[in-house]
Amino acid sequence: MGRGQRYGIALSAFVAFAVGAVMTLSLLLGDNPALFGDQPGSAQLAGLLALPADVLLRLVTIVVALSILIGIANLLYVHVGRLARGKAYSAIVLASFGFTVYWYVMRPGDTSLLEAVQVPIESALAALLCLSLLHGGSRVLGKRADIWGLLFVAVVVLVLLASLPLAELAPIQAWRDWLMRVPVSAGARALLLGIALGTVVTGVRALLGQDRSFRG
Amino acid sequence: MDQTTLQVYTVLFVFATVVLVYTARYFQRRGKRRPQRRLAGMGRIAEWTSRSIEANRPLHLALGRTAVGEDKTAIALAEAEFFHHIIEGAQASDVAPIISASAGSSLPLAQDTLRRVWSSGDHLSRAQWYPPDLAYAAAVTAMMKEDDPAAHILAGSFGAELALMIDSADRRGQGSLAVSDRLDGQAVAYAMADEVLIGEELFAAAGCVSEDGRAQVDALVLDVWRALVIMGVGIALLLEVAKRMPWLNWALVASVSAILLVFALLIYRRH
Amino acid sequence: MDEEFNWLEYSESMDAAAQEDEAQSSRRGLRRFLPRLPGLPGLPSLPRLSRPRLPSLPSLFRRGEHASSQPSAADLLGSQQERPLDDLDERLRALRERSVVTSQPTAPPNQALYDVDDILTSPELQSKPGGVISAAALSRAQQQQVQMLREIVGDPEQSQWAGGRRDLPAFSLGAVPRLLGSALLVLVVCLPFASSDYAEGQLPPAEFHEDRHQPTAFYDLLDNVSRDDTILVAFEYGPTAAGELDLLAELLLRHILAQKAKPLIVSSNPIAIVHAQNILRSINRSLAGADAQLLHGEDYYVLRYLPGGALGLRELSQNFADVVRISARGFPTGLEFETLDEMAEIVLIAESAEAVRNWVEQVLSATGGRRLLLATGYAAQPLAQAYADSMTSIVGPVYGIRDAFTYGEKLANNFGGLLSVDAPVEPEGDPEVVQLPVNVVSDSQVEAPRPTESQVDAVPATALPQPTATKPPTATPFMTATPRPPTATPLPTDTPAPTATEASIRVVEVISDQSVNIRRGPTTIDEILGLGYKGDMFEVIGANGDSSWYNILLPGGVRAWIAAFLVEERVVTASEFAGAQASASADAPPERVILQLDFSLRLSKNHPRFYQARPPTSGEGDRPELILSRDRGLEVPRLQAMTLGTLAAILVIVFGNTIYAARGLMRRRDSQGS
Repeated sequence: MGRGQRYGIALSAFVAFAVGAVMTLSLLLGDNPALFGDQPGSAQLAGLLALPADVLLRLVTIVVALSILIGIANLLYVHVGRLARGKAYSAIVLASFGFTVYWYVMRPGDTSLLEAVQVPIESALAALLCLSLLHGGSRVLGKRADIWGLLFVAVVVLVLLASLPLAELAPIQAWRDWLMRVPVSAGARALLLGIALGTVVTGVRALLGQDRSFRG
Repeated sequence: MDQTTLQVYTVLFVFATVVLVYTARYFQRRGKRRPQRRLAGMGRIAEWTSRSIEANRPLHLALGRTAVGEDKTAIALAEAEFFHHIIEGAQASDVAPIISASAGSSLPLAQDTLRRVWSSGDHLSRAQWYPPDLAYAAAVTAMMKEDDPAAHILAGSFGAELALMIDSADRRGQGSLAVSDRLDGQAVAYAMADEVLIGEELFAAAGCVSEDGRAQVDALVLDVWRALVIMGVGIALLLEVAKRMPWLNWALVASVSAILLVFALLIYRRH
Repeated sequence: MDEEFNWLEYSESMDAAAQEDEAQSSRRGLRRFLPRLPGLPGLPSLPRLSRPRLPSLPSLFRRGEHASSQPSAADLLGSQQERPLDDLDERLRALRERSVVTSQPTAPPNQALYDVDDILTSPELQSKPGGVISAAALSRAQQQQVQMLREIVGDPEQSQWAGGRRDLPAFSLGAVPRLLGSALLVLVVCLPFASSDYAEGQLPPAEFHEDRHQPTAFYDLLDNVSRDDTILVAFEYGPTAAGELDLLAELLLRHILAQKAKPLIVSSNPIAIVHAQNILRSINRSLAGADAQLLHGEDYYVLRYLPGGALGLRELSQNFADVVRISARGFPTGLEFETLDEMAEIVLIAESAEAVRNWVEQVLSATGGRRLLLATGYAAQPLAQAYADSMTSIVGPVYGIRDAFTYGEKLANNFGGLLSVDAPVEPEGDPEVVQLPVNVVSDSQVEAPRPTESQVDAVPATALPQPTATKPPTATPFMTATPRPPTATPLPTDTPAPTATEASIRVVEVISDQSVNIRRGPTTIDEILGLGYKGDMFEVIGANGDSSWYNILLPGGVRAWIAAFLVEERVVTASEFAGAQASASADAPPERVILQLDFSLRLSKNHPRFYQARPPTSGEGDRPELILSRDRGLEVPRLQAMTLGTLAAILVIVFGNTIYAARGLMRRRDSQGS
């Protein structure tokens, strides 16, 4: 690794650390005017401290909005390459893209393509998804032949039964409600809690400049 | 809890995490290595990697909707680390893995992850973007036919559309490991994927597939927090139960806690 | 932290770590057995023994293009140099000698993988029947690897893993169960659309269940918005969820628009914004006159897309004034709001739990006590319900198609009473279909010429009239909103006066909380003629053999059947029965027994409810009538298809899993037996 590259890595890690620290402090202090007591001007001070985070977040949203262009460029690049290798599907993708752009340029504001093409296709895909889910649901015990798999299937069946609008199945709805309110809710919170913990640990790693992105 | 208290707790939590990270690294440098926890499905990754090498079929690594720059940046970084180690294992293959994403801002990260291991090759076309949700699932299933990947590591943010991808992979005899930070995607992953990671295992996975010290330290810190949270929740639950049942005495509570603790340890050791 | 962390040292330590990794990895494999000698040239010819004999394994040994500091096996093998045999230690020398002995080819060179067995195992193992794979020396994972190697090197046509395209067979028997399951589902889902004989399951009630206060509160809050109130409506669903949420979204928008409140539509999903515009267009299409068109910038606003997911929502809450200034098309809206608290209500229509979480965390928490009205799809319902249960500022959730149906019923019932009753009701074609007195207007809409959509869109936002003074929010205390009392439909005036000696009538009274089906025959497959609600009374004229169904006489003299367990038999006097009938028809939702009747609601422009606050000289009297209309012809079979589809799905799931469980048990028994 050359000296220049090393400096580059150190610089990028430093920038990450500095921006992370500024954001954290700005979000913590700027969001809470109560920290500065009731003196006159405390609200202004909090507003001033919140400014860096505000500016940086706005920058991020602009960058994220523009990043769709990267995606589109990538999609075109990949499919042009595939077309060169003789893949016919890519021709359809590129032709559809061209047609959509042409349509929008010629008829600005007309979004009927979305309703006439996108919505039916995505609805059809959603129907296919239903079949996939059904197939997957019917072979859970083929994949996981254990007590947890059995429990999973039992809960799925119970929830589906309770969703049926049949008067005969009314008692099951009470079970379903309890199931959704207590164990399912607890499990969902546990999953989210775990992901939050992981997010903090990874965030600290990035904040300390130790993520692989900064290590060259 | 007012906002100030919440902020103080947040700062303390982050600070404690930093201290834990450095402490774990200190002990690691002194040669005290702790055995990594085993995650189900990690063995299959080795098998799929060899399949990819032997048969010249790419691995497909999917980020889903995880986007850099949004609130899921940390998840994207954890996935990139996980993918880095998988790609490292598959580098003897002649075909570079494919990383797909449905967020434009994740593409540079995906290309960077590929470039670190594959010095040559067309990174631009191996990191692929597709529009989100069902369109993404549909595009990936088309890619499954075109590129015939050996296996799919679907670690990211997915909803129920995961079912389309896993089902299609299943039909083609391609392996799948799935984990999602969204609840519907996680349920589908559990029901349908060959191997599944759950919740925070996504963050510990990098430490489990590699010998990289930093990734292992992260997994260790995560384990410590996890244990503390479980203990905290357990104690809160016991106190709540004790409050509602005045006939409970401390001896009973202590013995139940001990049994629960042993049970938890048994489960922990088993996994 | 800064003192401890030196960036330059850090990057240097990275180099050192990389070198250490390299040193460690170079001692993997067989090199581990070698003594650590400086400048050791490498392994001798041991690995090379097998290389020339495996010409068909190029990829395994081909040198890859690597940038990592961690060399691969191929790198190690490629960099080997010759070394005198004497340098080897005892074990390696013995290993080499044995390899030389066993490396004699035992099969013709053209046979696939002829030498893998020789290299991998000793002659003793090879002599076992079944070859290497059956030998106990290999674990299951190893057996899989050997099998894989064998297939890769073997006949490419039979290989499962071989590179390149593996053409799957066009059809295999393994696909049959999938095909059957899918066919069953598709078939049963189509049945209700083909014939009403397959109408199964109760339709959603006309009112939300009394245990579910939250959806009722949702409706009431939206029902109590005032004219010119601004409602923030978040569209957080894309075309994927259109089938599930479009109906609900359209009803909510109609509800808001009908009261002359202004929805501000916003989303963090760009496609959702376009989709919302299309829903508004479809509402516009249903409006009668050309001047009835809802106009962007006057009746509703579609704001710009919020990029960045949760960050975008944060921006909405922090910089609301900036967000509302720009429309989705990039024009200025002319709106002057400072904070979210100026919104009368905030309504979220969400497809995923994630969207619900983001809105609660990023938007709701930033408002000063605003409410969030939640309408979700089925997937987001559990989390939304958990939020609603734990936070008083969250109202709802109203979710899925069934709730949308109920919402539409409530809307129709409550607005229906305000309609003029002068228009005649179109008689149904089928004389046997029961018709209760209905006051629903079957409005014959005249399709007047109206501006094309592009013309409507092309109205420059700047040229639109600026909104008049926006009202400060009229904070309605939570849960105090009172539902409008059921509006009276014309009561029958010729109720017979009770006489001194009254005849008794045997009746059944509906006791089920949910609506019950009234059928043509005493089975659940008979055609549904109508619905009965709790408290409804019907005259009994008989019963079936086991008294599980009552034969009843409907108003109008039609005979029908109702299941006995849903009703209670009583004997009442004629006047009681007539009174019950009268009150039933007064309380009854207008079209509750008429399933096949399409209806449209007509809100007269002169109706006081909507125009009472408007000064007569405002010029807005020229505004056309706003007509709420929905052709609901397909909604009923759709709901029934959902019921049947769910039943089929349960069957398939239970059946499939039973088969898999049985197969697993049999395999376990076989393996124990062997």
